[in-house]
Amino acid sequence: MEKKGRDAIIERFRHIAENTPEYVRSLKEKGRLSAGYMCTHVPEEILYAAGIVPLRILTSHESQAMTRGYIHETYCSFSHDCAYQGLKGDYDHLDLIVTSSSCIHMGEAFNVWVRFAGFQDKSYLMQYPHIIHTKPAGGFMAESFKQFKEFVEKLTKRSVTDNDLEEAIKVYNHNRRLLKRLWEFLRHDRPPITGPEVAAVTLASQVMDKKECNGMLEQLIERLEAEPGQAAPGVRLMVTGGACDDLGLFDLMEHLRYDTSIIFIDSCTAARYFWFEVPEGRHDKLEALAEGYIGKIPCPAKDTVPGTGEKKRFRFVQQFIEDFKPDGVIFLYQRFCSPQPMDVVALKPIVDKLGIPSTELELDTTVPKAQFQTQLEALVEIIKGVTP
Amino acid sequence: MAYNITTWGDVKNYQTNCYRNYLFAPGGLRCMGSTWSPLAPLKGLGDDIHVIGGEPHSASAAGTVPAECREDIIAAETGGLGFHSCSYLKLFVGEVIRDKIAITDKTIKDGYPRPDVIWTTHLCSQHSKWYQEVSRRLGGVPMYAIDMIGGGNAEKDPKIVNYVSDQIEAGIEWLQRVTGREFSDELFVKAVRNEIKVLVLWGNICALNMHSPAPLDERRLIALFPPAVVDRTTDESVRIYEKLLKEVKHMVENGESVAPDQRFRIVYFGIAHTYGHPEMARILRDVGAEIVASVYTFGTCGNFKGIVNGKWTWEPIDPAWVDELDLSTRRKAITELSKIVLGWPTWQGVRSYWALEEMAKAMVAEYKADGLLLAPSRSCETDFRNGYIAMQRIFKNQIPTIEYDTDQVDVRKMDLPGAQRKTELFVHLMEAHKKGGA
Repeated sequence: MEKKGRDAIIERFRHIAENTPEYVRSLKEKGRLSAGYMCTHVPEEILYAAGIVPLRILTSHESQAMTRGYIHETYCSFSHDCAYQGLKGDYDHLDLIVTSSSCIHMGEAFNVWVRFAGFQDKSYLMQYPHIIHTKPAGGFMAESFKQFKEFVEKLTKRSVTDNDLEEAIKVYNHNRRLLKRLWEFLRHDRPPITGPEVAAVTLASQVMDKKECNGMLEQLIERLEAEPGQAAPGVRLMVTGGACDDLGLFDLMEHLRYDTSIIFIDSCTAARYFWFEVPEGRHDKLEALAEGYIGKIPCPAKDTVPGTGEKKRFRFVQQFIEDFKPDGVIFLYQRFCSPQPMDVVALKPIVDKLGIPSTELELDTTVPKAQFQTQLEALVEIIKGVTP
Repeated sequence: MAYNITTWGDVKNYQTNCYRNYLFAPGGLRCMGSTWSPLAPLKGLGDDIHVIGGEPHSASAAGTVPAECREDIIAAETGGLGFHSCSYLKLFVGEVIRDKIAITDKTIKDGYPRPDVIWTTHLCSQHSKWYQEVSRRLGGVPMYAIDMIGGGNAEKDPKIVNYVSDQIEAGIEWLQRVTGREFSDELFVKAVRNEIKVLVLWGNICALNMHSPAPLDERRLIALFPPAVVDRTTDESVRIYEKLLKEVKHMVENGESVAPDQRFRIVYFGIAHTYGHPEMARILRDVGAEIVASVYTFGTCGNFKGIVNGKWTWEPIDPAWVDELDLSTRRKAITELSKIVLGWPTWQGVRSYWALEEMAKAMVAEYKADGLLLAPSRSCETDFRNGYIAMQRIFKNQIPTIEYDTDQVDVRKMDLPGAQRKTELFVHLMEAHKKGGA
């Protein structure tokens, strides 16, 4: 039976998130230029202002061995899987691949695309600060963005005006606000949408033309606002950690032996992607972009406040805990990732101190569903005080 | 007959004295951070600065008291650090957890000496996180990390040089604030010149291995560079490397070598592992194969000309150039320091695959290599793992090339029998290649 209303919109989002190459081909058929990017520390607005649709390279979770001949096995499965997307040729329609100097593992995935997947002449590696809280970092970023803008202008053979940039900033900010409104539903006791559904929409937003995405988001939010909450209140779970585009894993978290609800996901594939805004109406658009991107929830790889060594992300995590009131926390990270688990070591005592039980899940290309289910149910039992 | 390096005693004493001072000096300022930090700014705070660097300390401790260090690594893992995290980091943090520290004269001191400040860099994704963890475990230590954005041609890119210089300049202000000490530009400039001089001198010493026979082998290179990594800002460190350069030049003039039987010359990419696993070195030594050049021993604390006319070269920089540098203002001194540290070869491949390949191509050609040995370090986030698998793909048709995994200090991660078999195969490949067969 054909789904209608909210379900149809959510299904469309999920289909796009899980079939990105198909979406890229459809853009090509419409005569649109598209650029793949490998890290959220890429100012998509510059590409969008030049008429290019930026799309994040996501993974397919297929078991494969091809990339072992290109990247060392001790790089995370997410980077291997992203490299695989290039090698298997599903993204040949892209006009550009771009990344910033961020996570080293994703840098390796980018290198594979450039050297071995046919993107040698259509790639851009952006210099981007590894510590984003400093004053010099802002100026450095703005200069990097200027160089990137010039590259994009050369690629598209058109100049990118301040008006183009302002328009792109507004479209992107609008998208961020809509996504935020969507996530706010999860604060309710009976939200009209589930955590996995919100995760799917957020993931889709990273691979879509933002105007099209905004249109669909507006329709979805309108419908959700008119609906009463439907999900029974369950144990409220918050996820925090690294990149995870495995929607099946989020489905699993809400399909345990107990009623559970994902109420927040702090990761670069979820809230960290959009939980910031770029100042509008500024004279210098590139400086505005730099200011906006400095304000992002920091990736653990870039999170060191000079002078104290403080991890700024922890402030956000504590604020999210206060606002979304989780009963339990799931630390999620890719196997072989260095910065994420390093943060867990310091974050776990904070969560413990708040009296919130937690567990850790280490991700690989495919996930051990049964083991994860047992682990998650054990967490819920701890929260609920179930005695064996 | 194998030559014995006479400067060795000076090197060993210098290294040990630095560590003993950090452990036992009654006063002064204890400073901690990555090897890859520009050290001269610390020396502007006085002449009683005792430094300890994460990587060199972990490496030398593992080589000196391996059983103790295995306990450190396990303590860090028990404390929550991941099995796949950097093993230098884990060893270092493990000492903090166990509240004891071991140094190169085999002293094991109970009670970890708390640093007054952490002055470090951030390069790989966990570089400064290392010291965040140390600081957290010690209840909070003032910490300043410099973003060493690099890769490729960074030292010649004014945008990057200014960015790093701005951070160092702000860092000096911070150092004054947190230590309450006045900063002496006179001491700073002197330390800058020494720091640059040592880096250039070490580059000159390494470059002498272009000769045949190469005067130094990998194990001696590893043993001789500690002063340059531990504290390269002092007059004594300059004196040691001037003396060593003179001695190695003399060896070349007389055709002498610490390992004179050199049928095969090998270029090596990876962190040192032959001192931890002498079995590996022995396989090579027995057939007259020597590692004559490696990015680790050359580039961790040595500078070369780098990219000239679009191509990388391992040609050395004239030491006299250092004496001519204009360091007349604080900013000028900071800028020269930024350039030299951004030019370290070991940084180039962290963020730039093409630089890594260029360096390998140049090293193979300039050091007349018979084989390329790639040994990615399983837990290293920098270019001691990045790009190596792809490099094998690129070089295998040009020169005998093998790859096996190692780890910087965690012996559990090395597949020794497998690596030995590959090394034997490597020797056969080089033999066949020389005969025109492979």
